[in-house]
Amino acid sequence: MNLFRKDWTPAEADEWTIHDTLAVVISPLIYVLILIGASLAALLMPVGFILLAIGAVLFFIMIKVINPKLTAISEGYEKKQKQYIEELEKKVKWED
Amino acid sequence: MATFHFLDWFWLIAFIALMIGSGVRFYRLGKRSESDFFLAGRGLPWWLPASSVYATHTATDTPMWVSGVVYKFGLSGLWYSFYAAWCSISAFVSTKIFRRSLAYTQAEWQSIRFGGMSGELLRGWVAGWQVFLNMFILGWVGIAMGKVCNYLFDWPLWIGLIVFSAACAVYVLAAGYWGVVMADFQQGIIAFIVIVIVSFWGVHAAGGPPAIIDKLTAMGEAGKLNPLNFTGLFAGDFPVAWFVTMLIIGILGGLGMGTAIDWFPEAQRIQSARTVKDASWSIWAGSALVILRNAIWAVAILGFFVLYPDLTEVKDYEMAWFRLGFENLPAGMLGFFFAAIVAIHISTISTHLNLGAVYITRDLYHHYINPEATQEKLVRVGRIGTLLLLLGSFVFGSIMENITEWLIFALWIMAAGVWLPGILQVMWWRFNGWGYLSAWVFNLVFSWLVVWVLPAFGVLPHLRDYQQFWLLMLLGAVVFIPVTFLTKPEDMDRLVKFYVMSRPVGWWGPVKREAIRRGLIEGGER
Repeated sequence: MNLFRKDWTPAEADEWTIHDTLAVVISPLIYVLILIGASLAALLMPVGFILLAIGAVLFFIMIKVINPKLTAISEGYEKKQKQYIEELEKKVKWED
Repeated sequence: MATFHFLDWFWLIAFIALMIGSGVRFYRLGKRSESDFFLAGRGLPWWLPASSVYATHTATDTPMWVSGVVYKFGLSGLWYSFYAAWCSISAFVSTKIFRRSLAYTQAEWQSIRFGGMSGELLRGWVAGWQVFLNMFILGWVGIAMGKVCNYLFDWPLWIGLIVFSAACAVYVLAAGYWGVVMADFQQGIIAFIVIVIVSFWGVHAAGGPPAIIDKLTAMGEAGKLNPLNFTGLFAGDFPVAWFVTMLIIGILGGLGMGTAIDWFPEAQRIQSARTVKDASWSIWAGSALVILRNAIWAVAILGFFVLYPDLTEVKDYEMAWFRLGFENLPAGMLGFFFAAIVAIHISTISTHLNLGAVYITRDLYHHYINPEATQEKLVRVGRIGTLLLLLGSFVFGSIMENITEWLIFALWIMAAGVWLPGILQVMWWRFNGWGYLSAWVFNLVFSWLVVWVLPAFGVLPHLRDYQQFWLLMLLGAVVFIPVTFLTKPEDMDRLVKFYVMSRPVGWWGPVKREAIRRGLIEGGER
């Protein structure tokens, strides 16, 4: 299992994997670190800067883990988007 | 009362001219189609909707609210603003699913996910509720601007309520969402710069960070420096139980749709992004900026607390951040500060004018009244809807003092009992439209009973907000789960189409297997 995998096909990227799990665990943690870290850093408390630095590292890891997957999903989906929009207009029409 | 000099007026007038000018500039793009007027043609790079998320959630009343909780609780008060954390998970779960559905609005999504009468009832209900809610928010934010202008210039409340919202409506009417998002980008930058300048100016006025820490310690208020300053497991103003509930509501809410009031404006930003990836990062980055902004504000409010530690009235200390700016900035900067407050104000106003209009146009007029309407007609209806919302907001704003308690209750009940169903509709294939509809209806009944009626008769004690949340969730589940199982599942053809298009996560096994059997998606797990 490669956490920093780059070569996703759209079909593979559509499946939920450890990469998604990792992103949804790290992501709120980064928010917590921004909230606490920035307030304490603005008070010039060293722990604030440390928390912000950890947040920055986690953000970098999150990008590396999830962004290639998001790119593959997007590329696969956007090819079908025009057809989907036409179908959507039919599906949600009141008279159908 | 503030005194403005030439330079102050210059900043203010230049800024308003810039905003209206940007609307006129994008007039041609906005009038092309319904998609342009409400979603900027689904063609925006991530940073534009991100700045719009940030600007929209920085309203005139936001610094008042953050000031209130931080002045009272210290850095622990920041957790009151952490509900925005739902975006941290939504960006990688529900945002993707919603963007792929291509629904203009959350109401439209209901009729994609659920079919038949229940889907239609849900669409009509959500659309109607959103028209009302956007009008209410416009009035709420508008009257907050009235209070700021009253504090600054001694103007009657109605002047602040009407003048800036009306100026903002010029570019929303002209360019629709194009005007909103382009102005939000400028307003977001201006607002962020000013928030940083004023906050650090306020910290400096309080003697600087080390002095604030020393003074708080000397005052016996060092606990205000601790973001996790719990008052007990269940007791006090900041119990662990409240904190855990907030984290669950805020973070896990990102798995679903409509689990937070902020979901609805975010839904529009998600659909306006040019790709699924842009949608995800726009929501993530916009909310990260909101979190960062709150942290900066909090430190300034601690500085204010050190300067004015004896305020007991909420109306006095909720003006903390504004007072730091107006009492400390030099002449010439006051106008810049006020221009930024105007930016903060109209970025929220513009969003809700356009957002309310999309529900009127797409979900009510286009869907129920005139399905064959031309694009030109739809844009015209969008403009009429914008105007109606503006006028309605003036009425709401003028009576806000009397109805706020009831409307905050209304906002609360809409969040508590439908939080779990909001997640289930995304994650569980068997959850159907009747189940979701019953959750909405019975939540209205249960919330009245739990919050007002039963405590009034002494049947139930007055519960704290987090206790009400858990009780309402439990009572709701007692209704919507049996209703779901006693009624038919959604039609499999509809579910398969939805699944293939949106690829939801969670418990979708039977639908996925059917989609594989029909050859619509590739089978097999990795």
